[in-house]
Amino acid sequence: MNHSMRSGSSEQQHGSVTTIHTSRARWRKAVSALLQYLLLLIVLLVALAPILLMWMSAFKTRQEISVNPLALPTAFTLSNLVQAWTVGRFGQYVGNSILVTIPVVLSVVLLSAMAGYGFARHQFWGRQFVFYAFLIGLMVPFQSIMIPLYFNIKNLGLLGTYWAMILPAVGLGLPFGIFLLQSFFRGLPHELGDSARVDGCNEFQVFWRVLLPLARPAVSSLVVFQFMWTWNAYLMPLLLLNQEALRPITLGLMFFQGRYTSDYALISAGVTIVTFPIIIIYVAMQRQFLRGLTAGALRG
Amino acid sequence: MIGQKATDIRLHSAPQRKSGVRRWLQRNRTGFLFILPALLFYLMFFVQPFFNTVYYSFTDWNGVNPTKQFVGFANYIRMFGDRLLWLSLRHNLIWIAVGTVAPIVLALPLALILSNIKRGRLFFQTGYFMPHILSGVVIAMIWGWIYNPLFGLLNYVLRAVGLDSLTRGWLGDPNTALYAIIVAAVWGYFGFCLVIFMAGLQNLDIDQIEASRIDGANAIQRFWYVIVPQMRYVLNMVIVYTLIGGFNVFDIVYVMTRGGPANHTELIGTHTYKMAFQENQIGYGATLAMLMMVLSLVTSLLYNILRNRGDAES
Repeated sequence: MNHSMRSGSSEQQHGSVTTIHTSRARWRKAVSALLQYLLLLIVLLVALAPILLMWMSAFKTRQEISVNPLALPTAFTLSNLVQAWTVGRFGQYVGNSILVTIPVVLSVVLLSAMAGYGFARHQFWGRQFVFYAFLIGLMVPFQSIMIPLYFNIKNLGLLGTYWAMILPAVGLGLPFGIFLLQSFFRGLPHELGDSARVDGCNEFQVFWRVLLPLARPAVSSLVVFQFMWTWNAYLMPLLLLNQEALRPITLGLMFFQGRYTSDYALISAGVTIVTFPIIIIYVAMQRQFLRGLTAGALRG
Repeated sequence: MIGQKATDIRLHSAPQRKSGVRRWLQRNRTGFLFILPALLFYLMFFVQPFFNTVYYSFTDWNGVNPTKQFVGFANYIRMFGDRLLWLSLRHNLIWIAVGTVAPIVLALPLALILSNIKRGRLFFQTGYFMPHILSGVVIAMIWGWIYNPLFGLLNYVLRAVGLDSLTRGWLGDPNTALYAIIVAAVWGYFGFCLVIFMAGLQNLDIDQIEASRIDGANAIQRFWYVIVPQMRYVLNMVIVYTLIGGFNVFDIVYVMTRGGPANHTELIGTHTYKMAFQENQIGYGATLAMLMMVLSLVTSLLYNILRNRGDAES
């Protein structure tokens, strides 16, 4: 508008009127943008306050916490963290979580990439039916199958080993992984892999060398989500991994809280030990987190 | 099923049919081999327990006896008289009502503002989403601290602003316990809704919004008549997630209150867990698990019907 007015009339007066007009509009725009940022920032602070306050308390003395739970730490004591780490056995719990999570994530990614590829790019008898059978797994809650699952694991003699959680977690992670990767592979051009076949690659090599590398965005989203679900799982280890030596971090944290019910210096230290690494990983991989979700939403 | 097919092949591998079978096998082999490992895991740890839940729900079993006594529909009939179940269902419905409306009301306007600004969108999205990556146990512990009657933040703030009369043990008070947990859950969930809404907003048809602006629609009208209908997919998706999540809540409630005080935060999830693994009523626990399965499946089905109808319209 501004431009056309200026070019339409070269009169001095006209020009100055538009400048006033646009500068006011620009000013209003800047203020509204500022207000929007302010609002977003306030909501952000409120949203993150519980986490930040918990982290802060980990560095405060018990007395400081009881006098003013909102104040910044003055002494920056590390004794809560040290004490929580040593008496809380967090080292062991974190180790258990890693031992369970890594095999689960690797297996879910590999198996669902293979199956997703099979469903998307190969014809075979019963394909549709089996695919829908996997989709049902997306809709059925864990609680609906946990009772027989527990007895199966018990009868297989797996209770008391990490396998008790690793094996079922792989099986239950597959529906989402297959769904995600199937739709990714289906979106790739059909000619892909043909030249590799001409060069004498077998079907597995075509998958492994040509298509799987292309699926990196989908795979990294799956890695991030599967990691988060397995790491954060509570009910599944409560049933299947509830021995002192095997407990993952979520169970460990709960037992820790049970022992130190109202000692919020220790509890906040425990929560900090557990949450800090997760949040660092999340911030470093935010794009994978958000993209995975976004892709899901856009598919409808 | 694949296993059965394999035996078929062996049965029919008489010489005269060999070539046809071989061709059939050749045609299907690659696909089978790619899905086979996943299928084995799935059959063992999902499909088999799935059908066993159905089977258990018709039995009376304490988990130890070598025999499960078949009782027909007795467990299903028992559900109707289970007052704790009805109470739990009522709590689930409250959870769903508040837990669906609150995060949407929080996240949708926020997403609209966020999609309006030019710089820092990713920064804010990352921040809002952060609580969602925390385990339910962690959320429960953080909010357990906030609600603590003696050392809790909430009472501290109330006292600081002179509202001493409102202070209480938020999780110990039957009137507030359930809502206090829902607030914690909404805190952990609204960032997820926001990210989904942002994805939906990126897909909006800008021309339609412009056209309605030119036609003189104000901001609220544009929101209600132009943006919301276009966001229908995304809204449906969020609502279904929340519904299914609302029927299946367990972690956060179990860690915060175990269903107490005096069952005031009992939900189907905690009720089922307690029946099966604390009361050792495996058969009845499985029946409650069936109820949870049906609720989730019906909700998902409803979503698909809604979505397909939406597809047909547009």
